[in-house]
Amino acid sequence: MQNDIVVRARGIKKRYSDNNALNGLDLDLHQGQILGLIGPNGAGKSTFLHAVLGLLKSEGSLEVMGLEPFKNRHQLLKKVCSITDVAVLPKWMTVEQMLEYVEGVHPEFDPKKARNILSKTNIKNKSKIRTLSRGMIVQLHLAIIMAIDAELLVLDEPTLGLDLVYRKEFYSRLIEDYFDGNKTILISTHQVEEIEGVLTDVVFLDKGRAVMKESIDSLNQRFLELRPNADNNEKAKSLNPINIRTELGRTVFLYENMDIEKLSSLGEVRPPFIADLFVAIMNRSDQSGEQS
Amino acid sequence: MNVLIALVKRELQEHKVGLIYAPFIVATILSLVIVLVYFGVADIKTNEFNFSTSVYENGEAVEWMRAATVDQKERVIRSGLIVLGFPIAFIMIFAVLSYSLGTFYEERKDKSIIFWRSLPISDLETVLSKVFVVVFVAPLIILPALIFLHMVALLSASIFFAVSDIVPFTWIWNAYSILDWLRIIFSLWMQLLWSLPIFAWLMLAGAYSRKPIVAAVLPLVGIIAIEKVVLGSAVFLATAIERVQPWSLMSSFPKQYEELRVVEIADIPLLLATQEFWYGMLISVLLIGAIVYIRSRSEYSSVE
Repeated sequence: MQNDIVVRARGIKKRYSDNNALNGLDLDLHQGQILGLIGPNGAGKSTFLHAVLGLLKSEGSLEVMGLEPFKNRHQLLKKVCSITDVAVLPKWMTVEQMLEYVEGVHPEFDPKKARNILSKTNIKNKSKIRTLSRGMIVQLHLAIIMAIDAELLVLDEPTLGLDLVYRKEFYSRLIEDYFDGNKTILISTHQVEEIEGVLTDVVFLDKGRAVMKESIDSLNQRFLELRPNADNNEKAKSLNPINIRTELGRTVFLYENMDIEKLSSLGEVRPPFIADLFVAIMNRSDQSGEQS
Repeated sequence: MNVLIALVKRELQEHKVGLIYAPFIVATILSLVIVLVYFGVADIKTNEFNFSTSVYENGEAVEWMRAATVDQKERVIRSGLIVLGFPIAFIMIFAVLSYSLGTFYEERKDKSIIFWRSLPISDLETVLSKVFVVVFVAPLIILPALIFLHMVALLSASIFFAVSDIVPFTWIWNAYSILDWLRIIFSLWMQLLWSLPIFAWLMLAGAYSRKPIVAAVLPLVGIIAIEKVVLGSAVFLATAIERVQPWSLMSSFPKQYEELRVVEIADIPLLLATQEFWYGMLISVLLIGAIVYIRSRSEYSSVE
């Protein structure tokens, strides 16, 4: 497995004057994974992604495709693409000027492919970026990224501020037209529920550290959610759930490493949504932090 | 090479009004004025300057023209063309000053720096491409505007001379030196290299400050004031003024020009032989290094 490591981070720290954005983060990302970085505001998601892209210097050991990103940003960005903020495309440029520019500076960019993708949208080549809606700017950015034969794609809140239609379209295009199993995607977003079906792996981040790293398959085996029949609530409680919450009047219990057979007899069992699991893990981590 | 072309093209697309349109607009306005003057519709007279067809009503001027040698004609034509070119050169210098101050500031302000830096272009390449635009590309762009203006001026004058029976149509053309275009372009290139510390200083102010004009002016005023108070001298101010003047006016330049600072290409080695030129280059390299360093640590692109 070591040979297919795309990102290897050990003890990554980044201090700003008033806080520690990253506080000893360890993470491995392998080829073919679509890894979601999930965390609250200020957890260090963007800081880590910017460090991966060589946009900022961090402490610790960080390798992206065998290169130290800050020192080798120029070399690295031939193989790594990113959408770090949807609003960063220069507004004075026209779409055609943008395609010509990227063609001039990026050896792996295929302008025909980009034009082909754009021809399926409402974006006109002569349009200035400032005249495009936010959703169209994301479409344009995605078209550029998809036309680059990159090995790693870094997405930092790529659909922030977009309406539901564009958000759904973004991820469906990403998976159907871009992801081919060899590419690797590192993605951070607050809208966890929208990428849930896309991810192969998740990392929960809190206060600059990884509080959980798992593949989706393993999460689905390790954690189970039970909605017990009304008279089984007490039995469910006695099985040591790691989290209990109420949802539309029903109590929902979350278990770790629990035999599915044991739960099935008490009610409806299913793997938890990542967002619910995230909240539970964060609560547990806060409680253990308070106790210690 | 493709990368450099793409980078330069991007700069010209972004700053097309100042770097491309403005010189052509000025050239067009001046051309119109010239045509109007030769049609006898307008004239421009100041205490020191008289541009009107009434000059030729004076018999002496016509006599002089008819008797002029090729050398004399060449000198007069050249002086006229250089005076005509001044407004275009001023517009270019103004555009380049404004470009230098704004180029690294604007990309931070609209956050497009995050996009530019997500592509495989090093900060050094980006910074050098902008310096290249200032020093080499901007003068090249005004060349067609200058040629257009000069051709309108020379043609209008020739037609006027011929129609008014002052001198034949060919009077100007057999004394006109086509090599002047080379002289102009080389002079401008060397001028921008000579003044490069100023442009690099403005770029640096734009690269780090939220108020680039203040960051560009305040430290200079501070240095000048401190020098004046502490040492009682004004060497820094004098050096700064020299950098904005034509290079042939520098105090240690070994050649004196009698009129209008018309430099010869052959004089460029004289500039390259001065220590001042290379001090300027050294300061520019240090400033450019500082811009690259600051841009590579642009953590303002971090949103958390």
